[in-house]
Amino acid sequence: MTWLLRLYPAPWRERYGEEFAAVLVRQRLTPGLVVDVVAGAIDARLHPQIQSSNQTKGEDTMTFEMLQRCAAGGPKLSPSDRRIAYWLSIGSSLAIAILYIVLTKLYREAPAVQAVLWTSAFFPNFIYQQMVYLKKRSWLTQGLVLGAGLSAMYLFMVGICLLGTHLHFPGRL
Amino acid sequence: MTQKTKDDAELDDFGRFSEPALLILVSLADGPKHGYSMTEDIEIIASVRLGPGTLYGALARLEARGLIEPLKSEDRRNPYRLTPLGERALRARLDSMMAVARAGQRRLASA
Repeated sequence: MTWLLRLYPAPWRERYGEEFAAVLVRQRLTPGLVVDVVAGAIDARLHPQIQSSNQTKGEDTMTFEMLQRCAAGGPKLSPSDRRIAYWLSIGSSLAIAILYIVLTKLYREAPAVQAVLWTSAFFPNFIYQQMVYLKKRSWLTQGLVLGAGLSAMYLFMVGICLLGTHLHFPGRL
Repeated sequence: MTQKTKDDAELDDFGRFSEPALLILVSLADGPKHGYSMTEDIEIIASVRLGPGTLYGALARLEARGLIEPLKSEDRRNPYRLTPLGERALRARLDSMMAVARAGQRRLASA
């Protein structure tokens, strides 16, 4: 059951991992317990209360990191970061183009399909920026932030497309 | 309405962890305890069983705000104790809760 601890960020595990595991192994495994631990892990990632041993208070924020990079004249990207960001941009553009073509074939011009097209306009840039600014975070955090951000953007676009489909101006065709 | 004291405000901004945080402070009021003992104690005093995710979410917040502190331990079960700030915050919060309870009971009695 202690595998659930892997959901927590490394600095948190470093600080509370052992005692948390000692409490966890004495509990009966129930769906409620799993939900509680997963919710705790999400909270620990979204609201970190502790810093890793090589950080000082306030440094572990995206704002601080972005300000630092702006002050230094922009993001400092290693050749490997550039390669990852480049392939992510190209790969995501191709994937979204294929997805759009398939969805159009299946569902024609449904608002949910049109929303994919509009979301795709921001998609590569969004992924690129997130990968650059979140690169020190774990893959799980990157996935969560990207997934939540893109889902929110897609839902927003679906709303706009639905509004556009159902909006009728009096006196116009 | 009386103004909230500074000590009472120490327990603000805990969000969904405010009740577990208060229960932890109450549990530590009679001496240091480690995580599992707190869970058991809280179940006895409040009939609530805190899951480990909730317990450690609240513990991390209380420790970050200096309301509790860990004690050195030889095994992996770290006990925690109230700090002087934590004790003041707990007293202030209990006082304000008692004032609300008294007011409620007075009004119910005269209704």
